[in-house]
Amino acid sequence: MTVNLNRRDLLRFGAVGFGSLALLGGTAGCATSPVGTATLDPNAAAADFAFASWGMSEDATKPVLLAAANSFAKSEGVAVTTPSYPFNDYLSQMMLQIRGGQFSGAAQLDVAWLSSLAALGKLVDLSSYAEGREYTPAALAAGKNEGKQLGLPWTIAAIGLVTNAELLDKAGASSDPKTIEEFEDNLRALKGIGVIPYAAATKAAGLKDILVWMQTFGSPIVEGGKSALAGDEAIEAVTWYKKLYDEGLISADIDRSAARSLFAQGNAAIYDDAPVGKAGVVSQSPDGGLSDKMMPIARPVLKSGDVPQEVLWGHLVAVVDGAGSQTAAKFAQWLTSDKAQTVDYFTQLGLPPTTAPALSETAGSNDPFLASFTEKITVDAAASPLWPYVSYAQMETAIAEQVQAVLIGQSSPADAMKKASAAVDALI
Amino acid sequence: METTTMVPATALTVEAENADPKSQGRLALSARRKKPFRWALWSTLTVIGLFAFLPIYWLAVTSVTPNDQVFAYPPSLVPTEVTFEHYVSVFANPAIFGYLKNSIIVSVVTAVLSVVVSMYMGYAFSKFRFRGRKSLMYFVLSSQMFPQALLLVTLYVVFAQFGLLNTYQALIISFTTFTLPLCVWMLKGFFDALPDDLIEAAKIDGAGPWRTFHSVILPLALPGLVAAGLFAFVRGWNDFMFALTLAGPEKQTLPPGLVNTFIFEASAAWPALMAASLLVSAPVCIAFIFLQRFLVGGITAGAVKG
Repeated sequence: MTVNLNRRDLLRFGAVGFGSLALLGGTAGCATSPVGTATLDPNAAAADFAFASWGMSEDATKPVLLAAANSFAKSEGVAVTTPSYPFNDYLSQMMLQIRGGQFSGAAQLDVAWLSSLAALGKLVDLSSYAEGREYTPAALAAGKNEGKQLGLPWTIAAIGLVTNAELLDKAGASSDPKTIEEFEDNLRALKGIGVIPYAAATKAAGLKDILVWMQTFGSPIVEGGKSALAGDEAIEAVTWYKKLYDEGLISADIDRSAARSLFAQGNAAIYDDAPVGKAGVVSQSPDGGLSDKMMPIARPVLKSGDVPQEVLWGHLVAVVDGAGSQTAAKFAQWLTSDKAQTVDYFTQLGLPPTTAPALSETAGSNDPFLASFTEKITVDAAASPLWPYVSYAQMETAIAEQVQAVLIGQSSPADAMKKASAAVDALI
Repeated sequence: METTTMVPATALTVEAENADPKSQGRLALSARRKKPFRWALWSTLTVIGLFAFLPIYWLAVTSVTPNDQVFAYPPSLVPTEVTFEHYVSVFANPAIFGYLKNSIIVSVVTAVLSVVVSMYMGYAFSKFRFRGRKSLMYFVLSSQMFPQALLLVTLYVVFAQFGLLNTYQALIISFTTFTLPLCVWMLKGFFDALPDDLIEAAKIDGAGPWRTFHSVILPLALPGLVAAGLFAFVRGWNDFMFALTLAGPEKQTLPPGLVNTFIFEASAAWPALMAASLLVSAPVCIAFIFLQRFLVGGITAGAVKG
């Protein structure tokens, strides 16, 4: 049996096939709108919209978010759909959805992601929605990108050092070390009682945490649009980190998840986390009293009098232009700044609000951990110098890989930081 | 009429060797020589067995461990305290059974579609001779060379244009596309192993090509079809990224559904995730136990042609 299909036909089909593939690839590549910012029609009637979040798929936050969305929908007479993606895949999914024109409406964002999404040119400038709502200046700054208010701050805190007060006490360590020297003394004392003194990130996935230590040693990370990682300060920070590693004051193979587990089991005395991590740590701990023993401390400084360096953590609500975006913007404003709503959110989830009235209302709350965290850590928190760049995640990975090479003895701090700096410059 | 009694060859050999003391000595020597080999074999199998089954055992243990003991150090292979609350929480969550339903629909349809298309393609490549046959075969296989993640963005745009996003069709079409090349090659190998004489005999008996294929060839190719179907099923069952991106919340399958349900921003419900994984894997594992002889037979059928 012979089918009349000759090589010429085959080549023709092949060419058509590959041509189609290239065309589709091109279509995908060209699907993005030019970078810019969308504006809203203030006279638009209330319309149905979507509110995307990762919180809607989490047991703790889902009921609270659902109640909020339903409450707003009822008051405005609209329907709110609530698509949800796991936190770790959320950014890539939202990028794809927005880029493909499949999503418009309000979206929960991590503060670190704003520039990546802003680059798509579909986020709405919410400056007029931020006016008169009494957001704190620091919180508002977290939602700004190139001078435009592309996100309204929902909850703002920081990633700071959390200690186990009982273990510090047992080791005779200071509960409030001010300088790196005092901090090191603490770690050595803690090592003496057989725990991991500081569950600092040593896995590539979590090593972005070292950036704040580089800042503590005086590195600006980025200066004048160029990487400052090859500078003495960053090299000194990496050298110090390596010293902690060699002395067994920090341990191998630690990322945030491992640090939380070790801390929950009482096997680590200090780790880095945001307030949102506390509930998970307490729930997996066999120590029923751990919650009361968790005490945040300000990050030690290089020399007395320096300002502690802390990295911002938080959630924003941004609005993607399209059907219902005007109502979505109103929802974002209500969700993040309505006093009753934000106080309720804080009460139920322990996540700090971002407006002055809500902060004063919750200041007297009976959550000493959060109060102390705000007072000692969040107060000095600032955005990472890498976040304004679209490729910030690749930059963090490039730095982490080089620091890891130092920790395992494959590279010297100076060489590693030179390579990291070149990689970051290329990405900038 | 002369009759002969068939004696198994092995029995004759054993009998002859038993009669000869030298042979007995050789047997003993051979057994002694085999002993270390056997030890090595069993040790290797044990290590491989542990490698394969320890994670499953650990999954089962974690699923009955209370939350506050999951990360206890040092870890214990035998749980000190057992709880079934995680299984209860899984049964109390109807969304998981929705994901299970979606997974079954997508995987079964993918498997059936892959088998139907690839059996005709595989047969044509195996038994017919036409111009460009080999080029076409390699062209089909070449689609496997593209990293699938690379195709995701393109497929997303295409499905969006056709209004297929958030539908079963989007997943079924994607998965079938990815499984076809291997299924076609697997079945071609299977058909190659079937003698052409069968086709000739059917032709002599008056059967046309269509009848020959469906009534003579296909029943013989059943193990290959099952193997190809299982391969396609597993591809659809295990996928995470395409299901997460193309299916939308309503049509989400188990892998993204479970992650969405149990992995959170700052924590993870590991024991409940393990309990859910075990529960939803059980039906598939049972089906595999019954069908595994086809899987092994089907995959190796074309491997010893000659």
